[in-house]
Amino acid sequence: MSEVAAFAAWFGAAVIVLSDGRRGLALGLAVTTAAFTVLALVGGHAVAAAVLAFGGGFAAVQRSRTGPDVWGLMPPGSTPRLVLSIAGGLLALWISTTLMTGPGAPLRFAALSVIGLMGARALIEDADPNAVLTAIAALALSVAIAAGLAGTGAAPAPYVVAAVIAIGVALIRVRDTDAG
Amino acid sequence: MQAELAIGLPAAGSLCATVLRARPRAAFAAGAVLGVLGLVAIVLATPGRPSDQLGITLSLSPESRALLIAAAAALALVVALAPLLVERATLLRWGLAGLAGMAAIATATSIEIIVLVLLVLAVLQAAAAGKRSFAIRLRGPVLAVAVLALAAAFARNDGPPILSRLAAVGLVAGLSAALGTLPYVHEFDPEERTSTSPIPWIAFIGPVLALAVLTQARELVPSDSGAFGAMLVGLGLINMVWGSLASWRTEGGAAAWHYSFMADWGLALCGFGVAIADGRRAALLVLLGMLLSRLPLYLWSRQSLRDKRPNDRPINLLAAAMLAGSAPFAGFAARVLLLRGATQVYWPLALVIGLGLLLWLPPSLRLGRSLGLPRGRQAWGIGIALTANVVIGLYPQPFLSLAGL
Repeated sequence: MSEVAAFAAWFGAAVIVLSDGRRGLALGLAVTTAAFTVLALVGGHAVAAAVLAFGGGFAAVQRSRTGPDVWGLMPPGSTPRLVLSIAGGLLALWISTTLMTGPGAPLRFAALSVIGLMGARALIEDADPNAVLTAIAALALSVAIAAGLAGTGAAPAPYVVAAVIAIGVALIRVRDTDAG
Repeated sequence: MQAELAIGLPAAGSLCATVLRARPRAAFAAGAVLGVLGLVAIVLATPGRPSDQLGITLSLSPESRALLIAAAAALALVVALAPLLVERATLLRWGLAGLAGMAAIATATSIEIIVLVLLVLAVLQAAAAGKRSFAIRLRGPVLAVAVLALAAAFARNDGPPILSRLAAVGLVAGLSAALGTLPYVHEFDPEERTSTSPIPWIAFIGPVLALAVLTQARELVPSDSGAFGAMLVGLGLINMVWGSLASWRTEGGAAAWHYSFMADWGLALCGFGVAIADGRRAALLVLLGMLLSRLPLYLWSRQSLRDKRPNDRPINLLAAAMLAGSAPFAGFAARVLLLRGATQVYWPLALVIGLGLLLWLPPSLRLGRSLGLPRGRQAWGIGIALTANVVIGLYPQPFLSLAGL
């Protein structure tokens, strides 16, 4: 179960990287949130799972209402993003399963792949503000899920802060003049 | 409870100032009252004693507390003596938001909370109207968040020693990206408002953030502290040389100030990197000087830079001497401590740092001239900043004792 959730988290992050429209971004964020929720539940952190589900779910719903009403999946010129998504996933898989040892490989893979891909999404040249905000929401959730690696997964603080960030960035309206 | 209040009161002040922004006087009064109360909470906080009133463990170290007090004092100084064209309420609103974030970073006991607060500050700053695009303003801080989070994940997992090394590299790279020092210099637009420019990252939030990340690094990569320190020293030397040369040779006056902050960070990073008491003392004095003197002087130089009215009066030369770190200013004490520390660790390092220090003089003369002919509030402000710097330079021990050094 946790292996499927880990790959779903990577898939959601890849969809966020590959999308420019609100439907694609919302779908990516929803899939990533659902995967993180399952991983938290499997780890025995019910409160954390509920907080992540609420924060990420709210952000995904809100994202589906903002921005161009299209899927925007793999627009022309998105080959480098596709390569980034696949290569990032493979690298995270190698690090989390081969380089790192011990239990919790699915959680490691999910955290590393989403953090890496969302960091890269925010760095893409001329990125749309909605896409950057979606990446920030997913990045915040992945930082919280990575806190579980510290063995302090039961402490709710990182999950609550991450959920607040996800909700906050979903409500932000960037002015057109700022979007450059 | 002081740690919670140190975060909550400035945040409430910033919120009140935002809600009341249509009435600038009321916004200023509400922000000022809550900001002062926040400062009182920081001063009264007992360093090292954890607090868990809200379900989150918070603890303020003596060094962080000293830097927070300095940041609050710098904010009070620039708000009280703000240039005529700058709206005080706006400056206070942004400053209090930054101070609340810094207090949260300083009191956080895990790297995850630190990077999440960093993310909040980045989004808040990028969401405001500014010259650079939203995505460009977020680029450096988001990169920092991702790299620091990856570094923490690397440090916390079992595996070969290379993992710990990679974590150390990630911590240094993430810190550099957050500050905006080489090799991740934030894009700088000289016409942009200070609050939305990269200056708050490198000169206001940076000192507390660096201290928090370095404190966490000691726990995350204890076995690689030598490599970690060496990377800090290497990065510090590069920033020292590049920052001072660029500050001297660049065309724009505002860009010259931006590079001068990088040069100062070079000194601070070297101080943190040598990892002995003298190095930390030197770094703290550099950061105090940055907060209490260099940052306010930058703000007061903006109008003169726009009007292109450089001046060579004695006050300009005094400011140049302070920026260059000559005696009796704080920079001189910091440099002496840094050279002494570097000599104890590895004497050729002291030689390299000593040669690098000579590069401060030409850009400092340029920056001093860029202050123009100070009048009114600006003259008072520069006088106070110079006096504070002399006091720290002549009597550094009380300030170091406040920081537990």
